[in-house]
Amino acid sequence: MASAGPGLESLVDQIISVITNDGRNIVGTLRGFDQATNIILDESHERVYSTRYVLINCDLLPGLLSNALIGSLVQNSAISNKFLSWCLKVCCQHEGVQQLVLGLYIIRGDNISVVGEVDEELDARLDLSNLRAHPLKPVIH
Amino acid sequence: MAAAAAAAAAAAEEEIAVKEPLDLIRLSLDERIYVKLRSDRELRGKLHAYDQHLNMILGDVEEIVTTVEIDDETYEEIVRTTKRTIPFLFVRGDGVILVSPPLRTA
Amino acid sequence: MLFFSYFKELVGKEVTVELKNDLAIRGTLHSVDQYLNIKLENTRVVDQDKYPHMLSVRNCFIRGSVVRYVLLPQDGVDIDILHDATRREARGG
Repeated sequence: MASAGPGLESLVDQIISVITNDGRNIVGTLRGFDQATNIILDESHERVYSTRYVLINCDLLPGLLSNALIGSLVQNSAISNKFLSWCLKVCCQHEGVQQLVLGLYIIRGDNISVVGEVDEELDARLDLSNLRAHPLKPVIH
Repeated sequence: MAAAAAAAAAAAEEEIAVKEPLDLIRLSLDERIYVKLRSDRELRGKLHAYDQHLNMILGDVEEIVTTVEIDDETYEEIVRTTKRTIPFLFVRGDGVILVSPPLRTA
Repeated sequence: MLFFSYFKELVGKEVTVELKNDLAIRGTLHSVDQYLNIKLENTRVVDQDKYPHMLSVRNCFIRGSVVRYVLLPQDGVDIDILHDATRREARGG
């Protein structure tokens, strides 16, 4: 069936960003594809959006934590929970986006949610070290 | 003349006859129906179009999403329902669990 | 074929595609195929702060199988035409 459907021809040899059904984000150059949306990606990497924090202010932490402990003894736990999360904010920084090198990759169409054409100019302007995201939910069929 | 009338009657009969499940949905065209979907979603809306996959187009839709959260401290289940209205909506058939025709009250 | 034809009529209009992973993408409908795969232009993710994964994407291809809803423009297509097309399809068109 010949139709001017939404094929991926126009994206070949361009950098694309794929969102998979398990919520991963893989960026690479599209080299090939077929009817079932199976795709070949070259020089690809995964962008891992972290929800974790890394410690940056080690010396502050013990004092704050002992205060939090004392707080939990005298106050109700809801308030001390808030205090604890504030301590974490002071001492830690978000990890930002990690880039994991994957290289040449074939992704089966069944596992693909979205294929986006990456605007390289916009992409260069992104500050990946300061970008945080909610984890994408997996697709449940 | 009589043959034409008989053919028309047969055609009318065919419009009303319910022989398979999808016939019931055909009779709900332009009526408000209830649709239960996967991932704890329910829709109520006017049925404008459907096909054999149960892809549908609904109008004046009310969507209800039910979510269950666990309270951090008491570990109690908190059931929440979120409502929204959508004027005109295409629903992909693979998420449909059941379709219920409008309630016919006398 | 009904919905394939319907979406072809809708090319050029603004739609919001809601996926089964709760991501909602708004954009101009560029094209559609028989699997109801969809291509959108000038896209933006509805909740960009929560899901910044596609900040540098302006055009995208959405696999039909991951679509939950498409929120349609109300002035899309005449409703009577939709009803007739549906009846025709039901008769095994």
